[in-house]
Formats: sequence, structure tokens, C-alpha cells
Amino acid sequence: MADVEETLKRIEGHKGVIGTIIVNSEGLPIRTTLDNSTTSLYARLLRSFTTLARSAVRDVDPQNDLTFVRIRSKKQEILVAPENNYLLVVIQNPSE
Amino acid sequence: MPFSRSVLGSSKLSSQSTIESVNEEMEETFCRRDFSFSLPESLLPDEKRKKGSVKEQMTQVLLKGIKDILITETDTISLLDIPPTLVSVNADDADVIIERNKQYSEVCRNRGNNEKYVERAMQTLNGATKNKQIQNNLMLMVDTATIVSAFDMYAPPEQEVMVYSPEMKQTNDTETVVDSRRSPERSLSLTSSASTVISSCSLKDVETVGSSLNTQVDFELIMTSDKFQYSLLLMERTVLRNNFQSQLAAYRKLPLLEDPDRLVKPKEGEQSEAETSCSPALQCLWVFRCELSRGCRVSSMAWNKKNPDLLAVGYGETDYRNHEQGLVCCWSIKNPTWPERIINCDSAVTTVDFSSNSPGQLAVGMSDGSIAIHNVQSADNKSPFISSRECAKRHLGPVWQLRWNQQELSFTGEEKVESLYSVGADGRICKWFVINGGLDCTDLMKLKKMNNTLRKTEQNKPEKTAECVLSVLTPGLCFDFHPSDSNIYLTGTWEGNIHKCSCSNGHQFLETYRKHFCPVNCITWCPLHPDVFLSCSSDSTIQLWKQDCINPLLSFTSNQPVAEVRWSPKHATVFGAVNEERLEIWDLNSSFLDPVIVQPAAPGLKMTSLLFASLTDCVVVGDSDGQVTAYQLQNLHVGESSQGDVIQGLLHSASPKELQETLM
Repeated sequence: MADVEETLKRIEGHKGVIGTIIVNSEGLPIRTTLDNSTTSLYARLLRSFTTLARSAVRDVDPQNDLTFVRIRSKKQEILVAPENNYLLVVIQNPSE
Repeated sequence: MPFSRSVLGSSKLSSQSTIESVNEEMEETFCRRDFSFSLPESLLPDEKRKKGSVKEQMTQVLLKGIKDILITETDTISLLDIPPTLVSVNADDADVIIERNKQYSEVCRNRGNNEKYVERAMQTLNGATKNKQIQNNLMLMVDTATIVSAFDMYAPPEQEVMVYSPEMKQTNDTETVVDSRRSPERSLSLTSSASTVISSCSLKDVETVGSSLNTQVDFELIMTSDKFQYSLLLMERTVLRNNFQSQLAAYRKLPLLEDPDRLVKPKEGEQSEAETSCSPALQCLWVFRCELSRGCRVSSMAWNKKNPDLLAVGYGETDYRNHEQGLVCCWSIKNPTWPERIINCDSAVTTVDFSSNSPGQLAVGMSDGSIAIHNVQSADNKSPFISSRECAKRHLGPVWQLRWNQQELSFTGEEKVESLYSVGADGRICKWFVINGGLDCTDLMKLKKMNNTLRKTEQNKPEKTAECVLSVLTPGLCFDFHPSDSNIYLTGTWEGNIHKCSCSNGHQFLETYRKHFCPVNCITWCPLHPDVFLSCSSDSTIQLWKQDCINPLLSFTSNQPVAEVRWSPKHATVFGAVNEERLEIWDLNSSFLDPVIVQPAAPGLKMTSLLFASLTDCVVVGDSDGQVTAYQLQNLHVGESSQGDVIQGLLHSASPKELQETLM
């Protein structure tokens, strides 16, 4: 448990990382480094997005599964690690 | 229900009345009317004279003649037309209108029971029906089908059904939400079981409800799961890959694509590009460093045999403290900021080596003479490891080098048994094997002191007889097995001698090479040419030897005691050497006198260790502050011909006359 915290802190301290969000299975953010409104916005939008991505992957091949999602936009990159019971989201600005 | 005749009289309501019959009826009715009321002019005078005969005439005429009847359509008579008025809900008088509508609907409802209203039927004249036929384009029918996969139909029990409703914001009741998750069979009014998760994108967002107890439990559950740790690992690596993308691409020799969104850099970049010449150089890619290793001296490094991205680094004692707790870190290329594995050892680490047969096993040699074998595959640091602490025959001084070596069994010739060999400061070379959960060893060789006490007199002789005046053992500092013949190995001693030994003969050296007069720090066989090896020592020289030749073929001088020397795994003529103040890359193709690339150490740091990366043109250098720097070799001009021939050619061209005689 302690080294999980440590790893999380390390990730948050890396260059360019704007924030991290952990969302539980119901879409409630349980840990975040951003403000509430942004967090809930990201949580809601990314939840449906990853479900869509996952169903797309599995429709092509039912034995496949989604492991990671990266959305690269002009200003930042959103990294999502989706699982059944949580979502780990990191927002990074890589071109700093 | 009383009927009342309409003005137009009764009409047959038969649905199949034809036009003619209706017209006949109309005619009849009109005739009757005409009788009683004003007649058309033509009939007027006749009718007044012959009232009775008119009737008869009329009937005869009717029976015989054909009457032409002109039918015209009258204009549409609109009896009642009240178009509905539409009022917007946002208009000012909308409320009034809504009120009136409500009142009217009330009235309609109450009509049934109210005495004020009496139901009455009315007969209306139905217009003649017309049949009209039209022709249409053929409607194209297409059959489509879809295949539903099991995933679409199957809803796994853990997959949560989203619970959203407008009332949630008001009730603010998280317990019911969580309860519905925990026991889906309890139907609460808030759950909507029919909603799929995809449709949730149209739902309102749920406000975060403080840190209630249930989310805390959630949090801990998630944090301790394995999947989460794996996700964290992935995430960290991805974040770092974004940061280190150019360096990693250079390491892996991939072309780096320009990021179109990156801010356009000022023109300084262009100028520096024009200035870079084609001379060989080292480019620093990244540094493996973390707080744990700060201040510790890097004593040895080893690549993993199976995963070439994994580097084990052993940290030895710091300069000012002896017998400090040792540390071994396994670093991955993908994460230069934090090691993948951290292993704490009981004493300062002097040497590390990965096994080839079981790639997860890492052998660590320490300065108190003990050897431990750790398994780096499990992330749990508490996995049991095998140690030689309890072994009676363990090394009495620091273990200076460890090697895993595969030996073919002579009978089958196919099995490769791998065993661990070590050389220690007590002058013994041992072969270790695992017994009863611990390590035990057998002595392979004892390094006896070769030089006599009266060194002065014998220094001039080119060959010395192997006389052992004192059978005191001299510390062995390094050894290396022959790349193809695993029976033969070379070992370097404190005295400066290099002995070639065989595993099968434990008493005698096959050959002794004397040139160094200071401790030999490192010996390494050339991986591309079978008979050539390099040795370096604290007398600031590096010697290139050939196996059958007593004297070195070439010697290179450096300015400081050389700690390590390594061959490049790809280019047969390139090797690297590291001494305290700089890293030197030598290229036999270019020059014998000077290194091709010299990289001075950062001020205050001493370089201690060196390794070439096997698949790429990179070297890793460890220093006294616990940092391991990865450099990329650039612009090394190496020839294209086969590596063995290159060395051969060089040797022939460079060897002095004396050697040419011995080569013959």
C-alpha cells in the first residue's frame, strides 16, 4: 500500500504531468489532483469513451481486450488505464 | 334518438350507391320540390293546365327516354372551420391559455355525467367515394443481418449499472447507491436496470459526494489489487516515454518523427546542426539515478541475458564508509527515474551477474565474501534467496568477480549445465552449487603467488619458471571464460599475472602471461575473435594478447589506473576503457596510440564501471555518486568487412618483428 502511494506520487511528479485521477466503477472520482469540476468532467467523459473503445476492440475480436488508451490532442495527452473496477487517468503535457 | 330530416331530405346511406342512383334520388326529390315550390319556366304553363296528365306524362317519358344530366361539382362548402391557434410556451399569455385548456378538458370530462349535455345524433350526407389509383416505384428490399457476439449479450456481474436520476442530486443519498451496487436483486426506485452504459453519456453528471466511508473502502480495495499496480507501472512508463522519447528513439535507433504540435524552436537549433562534424563523439542519453543510490559507488553492472532492457547495478561502499549496507538495483530502459527492483544486501556489493539458464536469477557477490542468489522476477522483495553465508568454505575476503558459465557435459554434449563461478580475495576460484537451500562450493583453482621474493634478478628474463617459493595465495581480481570453449578461463591476479587455466586441471596453470606489474583489474575475451583478449591494470596500461603468445601484441597507455575494459559486441576493433577520470573508446582501425573518443568525468565524480549495450551503439558508465549514464556512440567509422578478418589484419600489420616470429 505504501509503495503504491509512492508510485502515484512519483508519477504525479514527473515532468509535464498536469494531474492524475482515479475513478471507481461508478464513475465517482476517488482520488484526484485537479479541481472538482474538471475532475468530474473528465471522469464522466472518459468513462463512456473507454467503454466505447473497449466495445469496439471486442467487437472486432471477442477474445481481445482493451489495455490502454492514449488520446493525443494539440495541447495535452490523456492517458487512461481502464480496468473493470477502476479507471486510472493521467493528463500530461509532453511538449514542455 | 329522434331523427330529424335535413333540408336535403333523406338519402340512402348505402355504401355502394352508384352515381346514377343517387342522381335519380336527387332528381326525385327535386321534382317533388319543384312541384310544391317554384317550377322552372318551361314546365310552368303545362303544369297549370294538366295537373293530372302531367303526372302520367312524366312517368312515361321517364320510362322511355334517356335524359342527359349534367353534373357539376359545387364548391366545397365549409360548414365549420376553426383552425387551431398555436401559442408558444414562452409567450406572455401562455399561462392563461394553459388555464383555459385545462378548463376545457375538465368540461369534456364532466360532460358524460352532466345533465346539461344531451347526446344527439346527426346524419350527414356523405360524399361519394372515389377510387384513385396511383403507380409507385418498386420499393427495394434489402436483407441485413448482424452477428451479436457473446460479449454484447453477456453482462458480467461486476459490471456496474450506472445509476442516475434527477432525484439523486436532491436526496444526496450515497448509501442507497452503494447498496444497489452490492445487492442488485434489491430493486430500489433509483436503479434503472434497462439503461446501458453507453447511454450514460447523455445523463447528467453526478456531483462528488465528499469522502464518505464507502469510497474510502473502494479506494483501498483498488489500491491493493495487482491490476492497479500493473496499471501504475504502465502509466509511469508511458508518461516517461513521452518525456524521454527522443533519447529512447536514439537508443533503439529509431527515426524520430517531428511532433507537429511542438512549439517551433528558435533558429539556434539549426545552427548547431550545421556545426556538428562527423567526428566520433558520445552523446549523453539519460542517467539512471535515484535517491537510494546517491552517494554509493557503482561497483559492477550486468545486463539481463533474456531481456536486454534490464540492467542490474551493484552499489558498493561509499568512499568514507566501509562495509556499508550494499544495494542492488535492477533498472529498466523504460524507466530511468526509478529502478524496477531494489534489493538490499548485507554488505557492500562488489559484483553482479545474471544467469542465462534461468534469466530471473541474479548472483550478487559481496565484500564480506558471501554470495547471494536473488530472484528478480517476483516483485515481492521478501522472496527467499540463497546465500552462502553459512557455507564453511566461503570466501574469506571480498568476492571480486562472479560468473555464470554453461558447461557441456562431456557424454551428451548437448546439455548445458550452468554453474556459478567466483574468484575472491583469498585467492581461490570456486564453483558453487545449491545444496539444501544453501550454497556450497568446490575449489577449482588456488592462485598461488608466482613471483619470487627476489624479483630484481629475474625481471629481465623473458620467461620465468613456475617456481613457487611461498605457497601463499594471491588475491584474484578478475576472470573470464572463453566464449566458445567453456573449459578454459583466464584469471588476473593481484600480482599482475594472468593465468590461463582449465576447469579440469586444478593444480597447474596452462599458461601465464606476464606484463603488468600492478594488479590486473579486468580481463575480457574478444567476443568476435576467438583467440584475442584484453587486460587492463592499475599500471595505466591496457594490453592486447593473443592466446598462444606469451607477450602482448599491442599495448595502450592511459593516464590513470584503468578500472575496466570491455570489447564492443558489434565491432571487433572497438573497445572501451574506463579509469577514474575519463571514459575512453579505442578504435584499432583508427589509431593505436590514442583513444578515438574521450569523455571526461563530471568534476567531483569518478567513473568506476563500464558496459556495452548488446543491440545498440550505446555504453553505460557507472560512477562514484551512484549514477549510471547511458551514452550513445556516434560517428564511429568502422569497416564493413567481417570482424574476425579485421582483427587478423590489424594484428599482422601492427605486430613487431618478434611477434611475427612467434606467430609462425
